[in-house]
Amino acid sequence: MSSAPKTQLTARFLDPFTYLTLLSVVGVFACLVFSPIFMRSLVSKTIQVDPDIPEQLAPIQLKKEPIGALRIDVNAAIPENHWVTYEIQLKDQQGQVIASGIKQAWRESGSWSEEGESGIWTEDDLVGGLDVRPTKSEPITIVLDVLEYSDISGKEIDQPVPFEISVVNGAVDTRYLWTGILGATFLAFLALLVTPFSGKVIIDKSVGDSDISGRGILGGTNNLVRVSVNIKSDEHSPRSLFVLLVINDGNGEQLYSKSHSVHLSFKKSEGGKVTGANGKLSSFFILEPRSSYGFHVEVTPDATVDRTTLIVREHCKTLFPVEVTTLKSIQ
Amino acid sequence: MTKLFALLAMLLAGTTIFYGFTQQSALVLRQEQQNNHWVRHDTRTSGSYRGGGWVASPTRQTYGGFRGGGPGAGK
Repeated sequence: MSSAPKTQLTARFLDPFTYLTLLSVVGVFACLVFSPIFMRSLVSKTIQVDPDIPEQLAPIQLKKEPIGALRIDVNAAIPENHWVTYEIQLKDQQGQVIASGIKQAWRESGSWSEEGESGIWTEDDLVGGLDVRPTKSEPITIVLDVLEYSDISGKEIDQPVPFEISVVNGAVDTRYLWTGILGATFLAFLALLVTPFSGKVIIDKSVGDSDISGRGILGGTNNLVRVSVNIKSDEHSPRSLFVLLVINDGNGEQLYSKSHSVHLSFKKSEGGKVTGANGKLSSFFILEPRSSYGFHVEVTPDATVDRTTLIVREHCKTLFPVEVTTLKSIQ
Repeated sequence: MTKLFALLAMLLAGTTIFYGFTQQSALVLRQEQQNNHWVRHDTRTSGSYRGGGWVASPTRQTYGGFRGGGPGAGK
């Protein structure tokens, strides 16, 4: 004896952890988007620096702050085929250097020709940057020093070098955030990938035929059972096949019998010729009480079916709300 | 399995947000230990903080005009 099957769309079995990985990605991304709100521009100008004559900017009051750092970005505006080695220095009130960083900047260009085609290439690496975090409040002076300025042959040039310099406070290091986004996206992708395979496999059977049966002890309240039928079919397959799924209880009493239409996806060779087809059916059930249940699958028309696989999992989680059929066995 | 991924993703998100916003990669002024310093735009520090002062690195010393002025010149 059994009661009539009841089918309902439910979000009860969504995997919260999969959504948590997605939320992590969104969280870091939101931080990236909102990170510039902490930034305050202190200096943004172009200065000319003569080789070996350090150029000082106006002093800046540094404060110890919980978020961000003082960011000095410098772009050397040099002509093509020139090299410049410059140093960003920070000096304290007494004129002592307390930090410095060197950048070897260059801009090169040339022409190329290959198989009758030709063009001009340019490459450069001109931007230097230093992020510093103060350990106490103090006024500092930023100094830009040109250590070497030459053309590509190595001939020294004694001319001022123009630099675009920008100083901001409260700069957040977005490289960490990008790392977080990429890493969390990768984990979210993995979570999305494995969620359909969640749960414990109770039946995993495969035959080189169209009919397959299996039995196992499973079910119970709040236990989502996923019945997957994978069909491999040959090159003469129709566009869709019918899959009859029958579920019996421990007494052999039929609880469920339904024919599902399964669309096939065709595999093609490089020449566009159909070499075979795959079909997949996934159905969700709650089987009550926990007991022995039998699953029987018949694929029709069976002429083209090469292989049928039946996989039954319990304690499953889903990515999206799914149609769940509740079957109650009265024993 | 997804529990593990969620844990890792949240841990990664938390760490990267903390490190990014507190600028762990920045050069810490007046500190000898610079464990987390992460160079930006290939701009390498040309010295380090030793015994209360900034000491130029050997590569820096090969350039002329070292330290350029101030009481600390030529140190």
